Amino acid sequence: MSTPASTSANGHPAHLDTVVLTLPASSAYLSVLRTATAGLAARLQFTLDEIEDLRIAVDEACAMLLADGESEEHDLTCRFELATDLITVTVSVSAGSPSLPSRDTFAWQVLTALAGAVDASVVDDQLTIQLTKRRGRAP
Amino acid sequence: MTPREGAALRPQNVHGARRAHIPRPASGGESTASAHELFDRLAAADRGTPVWQALRDELVHRHLPLVHFLVRRFRGRGEPLDDLVQVATIGLIKAVDRFDPQRGIEFSTYATPTVVGEVKRHFRDRGWAIKVPRRLQENMLVVSRASAELFGLLSRAPTIAELAKKAALTEEDVLEAIESSHAYTTVSLDAELDDAAAAANPRHGVDTQAALESIEDRESLRPLLGKLDERERQIILLRFFANMTQSEIAAEVGVSQMHISRLLGRTLARLREGLGNGE
Repeated sequence: MSTPASTSANGHPAHLDTVVLTLPASSAYLSVLRTATAGLAARLQFTLDEIEDLRIAVDEACAMLLADGESEEHDLTCRFELATDLITVTVSVSAGSPSLPSRDTFAWQVLTALAGAVDASVVDDQLTIQLTKRRGRAP
Repeated sequence: MTPREGAALRPQNVHGARRAHIPRPASGGESTASAHELFDRLAAADRGTPVWQALRDELVHRHLPLVHFLVRRFRGRGEPLDDLVQVATIGLIKAVDRFDPQRGIEFSTYATPTVVGEVKRHFRDRGWAIKVPRRLQENMLVVSRASAELFGLLSRAPTIAELAKKAALTEEDVLEAIESSHAYTTVSLDAELDDAAAAANPRHGVDTQAALESIEDRESLRPLLGKLDERERQIILLRFFANMTQSEIAAEVGVSQMHISRLLGRTLARLREGLGNGE
């Protein structure tokens, strides 16, 4: 994929820490992700707006994943990669035969507006959405 | 009390609720009958007749201890106990009206969810989700004010660290307050919006038609946007089509940033649901 987001998987130069959460693929657990998202973005000195945008974006991305793959038997994996001024959130779930979300939809536009860079991929039965949000001006 | 009555009102439900001083309805003859008999007679009586009314009053009165018992769980959450008893009693009346004695379950078992549901709805309608302690409510207000002030000073949204300093709270507390603000629910939000609506005078007109041009699912989206109330639609358009930040929208619309965030989350969820169902 052509967005800058996909390069971070190879290790962003300013990469600091990684946090990985594995949860049941059920909307009941999304609040855990929201909380983690806010806490980690706050560590990177993101502003309130940026934190709230990212939190909503994670919610939206997970809703896309769970639309296909909501099942307590499957895992939803969420990987947060923290850099100095950048956070990459990669959420993925295994679904029956996942389809790649279309980039011309309102949902995709919402994701892009909230997160900045968005990427999606399907590998085998694994649907992955990656959000990369960069901190605005330094406080 | 007959044994059957005792069963209808389980002992633990009655516990501690004897202090209630509610005048007995002036009903003749029913006071010695069991609750089961009364329910049978209520079912047989014509709705709205004086006989039906007297039986219903008697049944409601007999089960008031259940109301008091259930309401005790909600004490200390910022609502006067009397109000809660009143609300819960409405739940009890609904339960009495809907209870079918033929189904073989105890009335207290049947009524409990109805009564508790009524109290919970009351809390929701009052704006605070259940279990938001006072300290958190205060922190939320302080953080919300600090956020608006700092936005004015910095011309950008503050960081959590800046908010913590301004509000004299720890960063953890600030995060917790923001988190909790999402539990702050609908009815009072709408009320807040109505108040704010008078002050709001958006400068940024958004051409919805043009904005939707590039979107594939605009035909499904358009009616959904149409169903939103004016303020929700405005916030969605400003954030996603005019690319304003949450803080800018907050300043524009005249409500707090935290409020905008809540509304965005809620409205997006609703749109998502609509789009999902439309396919």
